[in-house]
Amino acid sequence: MSAPALRGLPRTVLRLHRTSLIVWALFVLLAIAALVWTVEVTADGALREQDYCARHDRCSILTTMAYSNRIRLVGTFACYSFLAVAAFAGGALIGRELDNGTARLAWTQGISPARWLAAKLTVPAVALVLGGTVLILAFRWGWGAHRSLMDDDWSFDNVFVARGPALIAYALCALAIGALTALVLRRGLPALGVSFAVMVVLHLVLVAGRTSLWPAVTLTSPNWIDPPGGVWQVENGTLLGGRRVEGVDFSLCDGRPPSQTTACLREHGVTGYYAVYHPQSHYWPLHLVETGILLAVAAVAVLVAFRVLGRVTGGAHPRKEAAV
Amino acid sequence: MTETALEATALGKRFGRKGGWALRDCAFRLPAGRVCAVVGPNGAGKSTLLALAAGLLAPTEGTVTVLGTHPGQARPRVGFVAQDKPLYHQLSIAEMLRVGADLNPGRWDAATAERIVAGGDLDPRKRIRALSGGQRTRVALALALGKRPELLLLDEPMADLDPLARHELMGVLMAQTAEYGTTIVMSSHVVAELEDSCDHLLLVGDGRIRLSGELDELLAAHTRVSVPAETDLAPHTVVESRGTGRQVSALIRPAGPLPGDWRTTAPSLEELVLSHLRSPEAPALTPAARTEELPA
Repeated sequence: MSAPALRGLPRTVLRLHRTSLIVWALFVLLAIAALVWTVEVTADGALREQDYCARHDRCSILTTMAYSNRIRLVGTFACYSFLAVAAFAGGALIGRELDNGTARLAWTQGISPARWLAAKLTVPAVALVLGGTVLILAFRWGWGAHRSLMDDDWSFDNVFVARGPALIAYALCALAIGALTALVLRRGLPALGVSFAVMVVLHLVLVAGRTSLWPAVTLTSPNWIDPPGGVWQVENGTLLGGRRVEGVDFSLCDGRPPSQTTACLREHGVTGYYAVYHPQSHYWPLHLVETGILLAVAAVAVLVAFRVLGRVTGGAHPRKEAAV
Repeated sequence: MTETALEATALGKRFGRKGGWALRDCAFRLPAGRVCAVVGPNGAGKSTLLALAAGLLAPTEGTVTVLGTHPGQARPRVGFVAQDKPLYHQLSIAEMLRVGADLNPGRWDAATAERIVAGGDLDPRKRIRALSGGQRTRVALALALGKRPELLLLDEPMADLDPLARHELMGVLMAQTAEYGTTIVMSSHVVAELEDSCDHLLLVGDGRIRLSGELDELLAAHTRVSVPAETDLAPHTVVESRGTGRQVSALIRPAGPLPGDWRTTAPSLEELVLSHLRSPEAPALTPAARTEELPA
């Protein structure tokens, strides 16, 4: 951090946000430590416990659950770390400078306000990309180390995000949104709240629409479909005269013996069954589309932030100079 | 023609679409090398004017030209100290100066900045948050002067300082102009503190420039007369007149030689300023208005 080679604007940005950088580094280290400890130290006990359970009717599964929970907890913190980034970018990175007037100090130095903002965004972005990459690699390793001990799968929100570059994209997007809201609102605390809320909403929207980010596989069959293991089931149901109806209305056949259920349903117009799902091979397409959306939002936010800054400082366009 | 440090043409700034005008129809020219006082009551538009010149605000109308160019392009050559002297409180003085070096690549004069700090007997390792108001002003000035500005804009620089610190820092500024020919523009609502050090005046009242020009010329253009109440003061421009019984005391801009029986005195800067502020309807006197009469 205090490397003598580092000079100029980046050095100043690093010095001003040293505490935040240390917190981020500690968070990454702590996450790695938790994963390493869970996988290297506690896995054996959990595996022994699982082995015992396979051979006995009564057994404890607490060690296995603890193993699974710890890994999942790391994934959750890693996945939602972008919310902390949003708060930091809106509050500490830009908002506080506007609150206590130091932005006006920075904007009247030898560099342009645009270069100031560029440095303010680039330095944290580099830290987020580096730390995020380490987090992703560590989580992928920890999550995949003993799949038999885990009861989650790739479609879980935290797992979905933390296993790939979307983790970094979320963080970068939060950084851009935070900077933009701070420049628009020009006050730290409201910017902190708004950028946090915007990122929560953006995340919820993406979670809700996640399965439509890539075309899902649709299977139809005259017989009831049991989707293969490990898929992300989006929808399944019956075909009523060729029309898809979600779920199966077994109440139509109440009172009949189970062996006649199929025939009964057929009498009611059920011609077949369908299932819509994402196989595990869709993880990367889904993940990368979401990453792309986030990076696009981040890019737009950065662009708008620079324009807002230019308008605020009025120093960006020497348009009327010729008239003087 | 002398070089121009700061020039405004029809300059106006309104905050918000429906807000009032903080500054309107401002036109003036400040030659380089001057020490200019921007005087006016609180809320007159002094800070807005300085922020426009510093490129911190965009004008709503008109233009402001700084060192012959757009404020944004003049930025590296202009020093600015805001009224609240913002500094990074979590840094030490030495770190704060390093920020100055980082943010002013190619211009930073570390020796000057350190000398100004050392002149105040300040330990560079001390945190900014532990400094007194005067000490903070000194660091803020060191930061502004460290970039070797050709134009220094100071918003109420001495407002919260004790007389000793005020005197010291004024000395620092005067040394700067003497040595480098830096143009200094400083605002104040206290007139008296500027009289000795300034040679140029911008009087701002109610968002307009009321007076602008060389201090000597402005003072010479005005006369305080004491005449009987029934005297017709025309054709001289009356800035302010106040009756004291059978006598009238007036501040006028003589349009020609005055009758010998009028009692005249030279006004002080404070009188000049106060008379103009008390009489908002008095016509403004600015060099822009005068240059219109002259061939360019």
